[in-house]
Amino acid sequence: MLDQAFEALKTYNWGADVKALDPISEAVVKTHGDEKGRLDLENRLAAVLTSGASRDAKDYVCRQLVVAGSKASVPTLAGLLSDKELSHMARYALERNQAAEAGQALRDALPKASGAIKIGVISSLGVRKDAESVSALGKLLGDSDAAVARAAAHALGDIRTPEAAKALSEAKPAAEAKLAVADARLACAESMLAHGKKAEALAVYKSLSGQDQPKQVRLAATRGMLAGASK
Amino acid sequence: MSRSSSSTRREFLKTAGASVAIPYIITSAALGNADRPAASDRIVMGGIGVGNMGSGDQGAFLGRGDVQYVAVCDVRKGVREAAKGRADKHYQNSDCREYNDFRELLARDDIDAVHVATPDHWHAIMVIDACRQGKDVYCQKPETRTLREGPLMVAAARRYARVVSGGSQRVLEDYRGIVDKCWSGSLGPIKSINVNVGPLSQICNLPAEPTPADIDWDMWLGPAPWAPYNKARCDGNFGTGGGSWRSYVDYSGGGMTDWGAHHFGGATFAVDVREMQPVEVQYHDDKEGKYVTLHYPNGIVISHNRPKFENLQVEGTPGETRAPKPVPSYKGQGGIYGDFIECVKTREKPFRDIELAVNTIAVSHLAIIAYQLQRSLKWDSATQQFPGDAEANRLLDRTRREPWQV
Repeated sequence: MLDQAFEALKTYNWGADVKALDPISEAVVKTHGDEKGRLDLENRLAAVLTSGASRDAKDYVCRQLVVAGSKASVPTLAGLLSDKELSHMARYALERNQAAEAGQALRDALPKASGAIKIGVISSLGVRKDAESVSALGKLLGDSDAAVARAAAHALGDIRTPEAAKALSEAKPAAEAKLAVADARLACAESMLAHGKKAEALAVYKSLSGQDQPKQVRLAATRGMLAGASK
Repeated sequence: MSRSSSSTRREFLKTAGASVAIPYIITSAALGNADRPAASDRIVMGGIGVGNMGSGDQGAFLGRGDVQYVAVCDVRKGVREAAKGRADKHYQNSDCREYNDFRELLARDDIDAVHVATPDHWHAIMVIDACRQGKDVYCQKPETRTLREGPLMVAAARRYARVVSGGSQRVLEDYRGIVDKCWSGSLGPIKSINVNVGPLSQICNLPAEPTPADIDWDMWLGPAPWAPYNKARCDGNFGTGGGSWRSYVDYSGGGMTDWGAHHFGGATFAVDVREMQPVEVQYHDDKEGKYVTLHYPNGIVISHNRPKFENLQVEGTPGETRAPKPVPSYKGQGGIYGDFIECVKTREKPFRDIELAVNTIAVSHLAIIAYQLQRSLKWDSATQQFPGDAEANRLLDRTRREPWQV
C-alpha cells in the first residue's frame, strides 16, 4: 500500500484523489517511536522533493515532514528555501523541526533571500525563537524594504532575549516600521517584567510613552509602567 | 465613552470648531436624539469579511443606534459592494468606504472597532493587527486556527487594553438549560460532560478552475499554502463535508472547530472550566470506536464523541448538591453584539472575552492533534507545550505563507 501511494505521488496533481496518499500519512503516525522506520520514510519523502514530481506532490510531502522530519531532510528542504513556489512549504516542514540543522538552514538562507521569501525566513526564525539570528535580524530593522524591517521587528519581539531587546531599542526604524518596533519592544518589556527585570522593563515603557509614539503605544506603555510599579 | 481615539475625535471637533467654519447644515441624524447618540459619541465601526456570517454581523451592528458603520473590507468585489450597499441604504448616504486590503481599513484613525468574519486562517493576523492599531474587535468563532495563535491574540488584546470578543452567541443562548442546571448545584459536583461534533477537516486537492475576476485570490489564500482557485475550496457555506472552506485544513478545523466552538463553548461554560485548559488528552480506540477525553486540572472531564453519550450529556454526582452560583451573562442590550458594544464603552471584558474563547477552541485543537497522532498527550497550558513530546509540539501551529506572520 505504501509503495502504491509513493507511486501515486509521481503523477499526483490538483484534482487527484488525495485518499490515494493516505498510506503515507498513516505511515507517519505508525512510525512514531520506530527510529529506523521513520528515517526510511523520511528519506523516501525527501527524495520526492528532488524528483520531477509536481508542486502539489511536493506540497503534500512537506506536510508529512512536519511530523516525520528530522535533521536528515533538512539539506533537501534547505535547497527549496529560495524556490519561489516551494519556499513556503519548505519552511512549513522546517519551522518547528527541533533539529539544530533546521535553524542553521534558515539562518543561512536569510542573507541570500529577498522580498517576500526573506520575510518568510525571518518569520520562521521568530517562531523558532532563534536567539542565534538576533544579530542578523537586528541589522534588518533598518532595511530599505519596510516590510522586511517590520518582519524583523516582529521576529525579534518573538525571540525576546536581552540581545533582541537591545537591538530593538537601538533601532532607528523608518516611519513604516515604527509601530512594529514599538510592538516588539512592548513584547520584550512584558518578558522582562515576567522575569523580574523591573528596571529594564520600566526603561522600555518610559521610552515608549512620549508624544512621538501613536496613542495606542503610549497607552500600552503607561499600562506597563503601572504593572511594573505594582510588582 | 472612554476610548482614546474617540477622545481624539471629539478634541478634533472642539479644536476645529474654533478655527474652521461650521457647516450651515448639520443633519438631525448627526446631532442624535433620545434613541441615538450624537455622531461624535457613536462607536465607529468597520467590517472585515462581510459575506455569510459577516453580513449577519454587519446587520447586527448596523441596526444599533450607538454604532456608526463606515467601512467594509472583503477580497470579493461583489460581496464588498453588497455590504457597502447595505450600509449606505441604512444611513441613506454613500459614505461607507470599501477596502480590498484589511490593513488599509485598520490604518484609519477614525475607526474604533471592527468585526472580523473571514475564513478562520485569517483571524489571528487580523485580530492582532487590529489590536496593534488600537481597535477593539468582535471576531467570529472559531477564533483561532492553531494553538499557537491563541496566546498571541490574548497578549495583543491585553497589551493594548483592547476589548476583544469571540463570536459564539450559542454558548449562552443555546445551552442555557444545561448551564443553569449545572450552576444551580442540583447535579452536585460535576464529573464530566460529553460533546458530539465533527468532522475533522481534510487536505483539499480540488482541481484548478478559472479564477473569477472579482476575487483577489492571493489575498483570499493569505497565510495559507498556495493552491489554485476552486469554488468549493473558498465557498463560505456552512457545510463541512467538502463543498466549503470549512471542510479543509488550510482554512478550518472542520466541524471540530466550527461547531466545536459552540458545543465545547457550551460544555466548558456548563461545567465551569472556561478559565482553564486541559492537562491531558486521552485517545481511546476500542471496540466501541475512537474518541478522546480531555482532563482538566480540577478533575472534570470533557469527552468528545464518547460512545453512547449524547451531546452535552452531563455526569453529576447523584444524591449530592452543591451551592448555587450566579450565571454570568451579557452586558448591555442586544445579545452578544450588544455585550461587545457595551464593553467597548465601559472597557469591561465581554462575555466571550478572547481568553475564554481561546480556551474553548484549544479543546478542539487538542482533540484534533490527538486524533491525528492517534495517541494520548499531556498538555502544559502555562508553557503551551506538549511536555517532552517534540512530535506533538510541531502541530502547535501552521507555518504562514510569506509575507504573513503573527
